[in-house]
Amino acid sequence: MLFEARGLTKRFGGLTAVSDVSFGIDEGEIIGIFGPNGSGKTTTLSLIAGMLAPTAGDLVWQGQGIVGRRPFEIAEMGIVKTFQNPQLFPELTVLDHMRIASHLGFKRALGARRLFTLVWPWAAADIESGADAKMKDMLHLCRLTEARNEKAAALSYGAEKMLGVAMAMMCDPKLLLLDEPASGLGQEEIVNLEAVLRDLRAHGVTLCIIDHKVGFLGRLADRSIALAHGAMIAQGATRDVLASDAVVEAYLGRKHA
Amino acid sequence: MMRFVPLVALACALAAPLFIRSDSTFAIVTFGLLLASLAVSFNLIFGFTGQLSFFHAASFGVAAYITAILVSDYRWNFWLAIGPALATVAMLALVVGAICFRFKLREFYFAVVTMAFSEMIRLVVVNWNSVTNGTLGMTVTAQPTLWSPSGPVALSGARVWYYVALAVLVVTYVVCQRVLASWIGRCFAAIRLNEQLGETLGVNVFLYKLLSFVIGSVLAGLVGCFYGFYTGFIEPQYLSITQSLDIISMVLLGGVSSLFGPVIGGLVLTALPHVIDLTAELRIILYGAILIFVILVMPRGIFGLFERPHHAV
Repeated sequence: MLFEARGLTKRFGGLTAVSDVSFGIDEGEIIGIFGPNGSGKTTTLSLIAGMLAPTAGDLVWQGQGIVGRRPFEIAEMGIVKTFQNPQLFPELTVLDHMRIASHLGFKRALGARRLFTLVWPWAAADIESGADAKMKDMLHLCRLTEARNEKAAALSYGAEKMLGVAMAMMCDPKLLLLDEPASGLGQEEIVNLEAVLRDLRAHGVTLCIIDHKVGFLGRLADRSIALAHGAMIAQGATRDVLASDAVVEAYLGRKHA
Repeated sequence: MMRFVPLVALACALAAPLFIRSDSTFAIVTFGLLLASLAVSFNLIFGFTGQLSFFHAASFGVAAYITAILVSDYRWNFWLAIGPALATVAMLALVVGAICFRFKLREFYFAVVTMAFSEMIRLVVVNWNSVTNGTLGMTVTAQPTLWSPSGPVALSGARVWYYVALAVLVVTYVVCQRVLASWIGRCFAAIRLNEQLGETLGVNVFLYKLLSFVIGSVLAGLVGCFYGFYTGFIEPQYLSITQSLDIISMVLLGGVSSLFGPVIGGLVLTALPHVIDLTAELRIILYGAILIFVILVMPRGIFGLFERPHHAV
């Protein structure tokens, strides 16, 4: 198993945002986390990415506990998260974004030998050209090739979200956490996004996607988890989860169930 | 096109002494070059990493005092004295930076806390009479020498110091340029523009903020080592907040978004009071008015007018 959450709990004062949630993620799968607004989906992702510290429970990544690690360490270990509202560097171009995101690959490739490139930059020429090729691939994959010289501030909302995914991919994640990638997108953009995410899986990336839209994730996820009020109410094959009584009740209320 | 500006400027600067006749012009330009180096190193921390440090004058002053004391009182060789001076500045910057960044101080909080540390060091210098001679300052009479094939050359005379100052500026500039062109510059940009995003992309925000602060401060120390020997005099005023504010003015005037902008800012602000041919009171009013005008009308500084609106990453 690639990743496992055991009894994950997060309390903010008197509010329990995530309560005793346990699940695992296998390599190469697309796992969906469903739930209405306020059910603790984003909190769960933030806990995994190290942006919040859990009140209780364990997070295990490739057999190693990662609770207490800083977000940048977790990114370096191969878990990268995108944001629901795209977080970008407004005054920079798309390519500049990709260059910044490429630093981690540079670190992995060279380690402390990076210091040598300060006095002898040509020592990293082949790594730089490899990174350039990767940038090109990822921009192509995320349908951003034409916008590569645009400033982030000039991008459409859909393109901003795609850029978030492209930057995350430059970090070479083994597990990519996507926080509501489809929210705010038009129908056409959602179709496009689905194709991109399938391509990512084909590149060997494991995806964990949260969404409150049932349709989009229903088509994409192999396996799903449903949350309501911070607790896990169902897990299993996506079709079964969506059909389960608890999920229908959480979405529609008891009367309709 | 803009990438050749520094090289052309360097060529002009190397040839300039052929055309400079008066010692006072040499003095103004030499001061300008040394202060420009301070401004360039400050901009690494401020313009490129987004941290408004008020510690710069302290780094500059501490290094100036240490080299002067080691050379004058302990008869050290000037070039050897640079080592401990820069090591001390690095240690101070490491401690101050680690405290500020560990507590995630940003913007004005960072500015105020670094200002407090800077004042603390200045007060130590003022009150440690036995070593620093307190408010009276120290006269530095020793002249560093430089090895040359035809025997040692003393660093004295307007022309020699002009080239020394130019060399200090070139070293500072090249170090900053190398750092910014590398992966470190990318991490600095991520911190300046969106720290949270940087962190999720694997940037160790604490480490790189500290790195920027330490490199910038050590370079300021390097300028300090030479400055005292050029002026022949050192006083606690070197560590004052006014000195930090002067550096900030130079950077704002020249342009925060480039390495070369602060060079222009440093030279212009140093020369300005000497160029304005008026009585002292009127001169200072006009100086202030020009500074305010430039910052209001050209928010990207003098160099920003010529540069494409794009931050190199």
